[in-house]
Amino acid sequence: MIFSVGDGLVATDRDGKILLMNPAAEKMLLQNAQEVIGEDYIETVPAADKDGQIIPSEKRPLLAVLKQGKSFTNHSANYYVRKNGSKFPTAITTSPIKYQNSIIGAIITFRDITHEKEVDRMKTEFISLASHQLRTPLSAIRWFVEILQNGDAGKLNKQQMELLGDIYQSTKRMIQLVNDLLNISRMETGRIIIDPKPTHLGQLLEEVLKELKPKINSKKQRLIISYHPDLSKINIDPNLIRAVYLNLLLNAIKFTPEYGEITVIISRKGNDIVSQITDSGWGIPKNEQRKIFQKFYRGSNIIKKVFEGTGLGLYLVKSIIEASKGKIWFESGENKGTTFWFSLPVSGILPKKGDVSISP
Amino acid sequence: MESKKPTVMVIEDEHLLLKAIERKLRLNNLNVIACESGTQAIENLNKKTAPPDAIWLDYYLGDTTGIEFMKKLRQNAKWTDIPVLVISNSANPEKVSAMIALGAKDYLLKANYRLDTLVSKIQSLTITKK
Repeated sequence: MIFSVGDGLVATDRDGKILLMNPAAEKMLLQNAQEVIGEDYIETVPAADKDGQIIPSEKRPLLAVLKQGKSFTNHSANYYVRKNGSKFPTAITTSPIKYQNSIIGAIITFRDITHEKEVDRMKTEFISLASHQLRTPLSAIRWFVEILQNGDAGKLNKQQMELLGDIYQSTKRMIQLVNDLLNISRMETGRIIIDPKPTHLGQLLEEVLKELKPKINSKKQRLIISYHPDLSKINIDPNLIRAVYLNLLLNAIKFTPEYGEITVIISRKGNDIVSQITDSGWGIPKNEQRKIFQKFYRGSNIIKKVFEGTGLGLYLVKSIIEASKGKIWFESGENKGTTFWFSLPVSGILPKKGDVSISP
Repeated sequence: MESKKPTVMVIEDEHLLLKAIERKLRLNNLNVIACESGTQAIENLNKKTAPPDAIWLDYYLGDTTGIEFMKKLRQNAKWTDIPVLVISNSANPEKVSAMIALGAKDYLLKANYRLDTLVSKIQSLTITKK
């Protein structure tokens, strides 16, 4: 069986010496199964990191697996080095072999993921290219409408201005849709950069609110903010969490009628910092509440009142919070308002390499 | 002569966008050198004795990319001081940081801005240069 599987398979003893190498592994690594028996696996099969640097032996997972008895899978772009020195990207799982509660060796299975990586790269490139392509005509429509609205091509009557206003709104919505879809595909493919920095959430909130002030003022809404000035800084990605505040606050503003009230409270609860965003708006109908984090969901009670919105904001918010090791929950009553809470761990999160960041 | 008006070179391969930008810049009392490709822009720069006061640069151009264009621009001493504003619909962090490192003043996402806003940004660049 071991000899007919397509994945590479190597078994070692508890010192990491090779006991067995199957033909698939032989082929991928260009090794000779007979010759390598008894050799040190880590020395025989060097591994390289994402940048092609050889991983020092003490950092190879095999040692930890043999010591701790837990299996280990790398999903990142690690490379194995063949006997001739060339490298190939590989997905590797290292598992302990246990006998009567003691670790007697390890099994390493791996496969060549050159093709997957290529497909993945093509997909990312396609998304980026498609969004670029869509944004170009959208920019043109937007800018020409602006030129007309400004009266740069002659004065327009009231009705013409109104119709242009409708075109403008639809165009901006389409632009937002492209931006949201792009951000979502970035989150979904896990290619997003997470770059944590010590961040004071109160300050981050103030920055976002500064941007939103004109919108709040134009709806004559009352804004109440409360956070402790000595709130400890936490290590999160400010860019991502900014998008969370922005989306939740934009929703609060949009779905709250004029003269309504929006409250934001940030406080520490145990090992978390919890942000609360409450509005006195139209709320989410009870029977739709389980759907609110789904893509393209928009409340049936607001769909005829509010024309902006893509139905992607909360989905994105949830993806970001989950990637930041936090939680999000809400309470809502129709015509009473909605409260969202999200928590972020005080301990912060670890950075993650990627190749894209979120766009506004 | 219109020599007192600041001159902006616009490099944008999308004909309709170029048309909108050109129109708006002229309305704001700026001279415009409209270029639809990197090659056309370099040819134009070579012809002129006085460099433009600012460059409005798209990233993906038919014949070159923003990075290649910036590198060329930085090779000629006469052109190194021209402020460049990159306005593109494709802005991943790698591109942005590469362009800023090459001396671009800012890198903005086209679809997210009003044309007015972008025009006043380039206008302020022509002033700071003076």
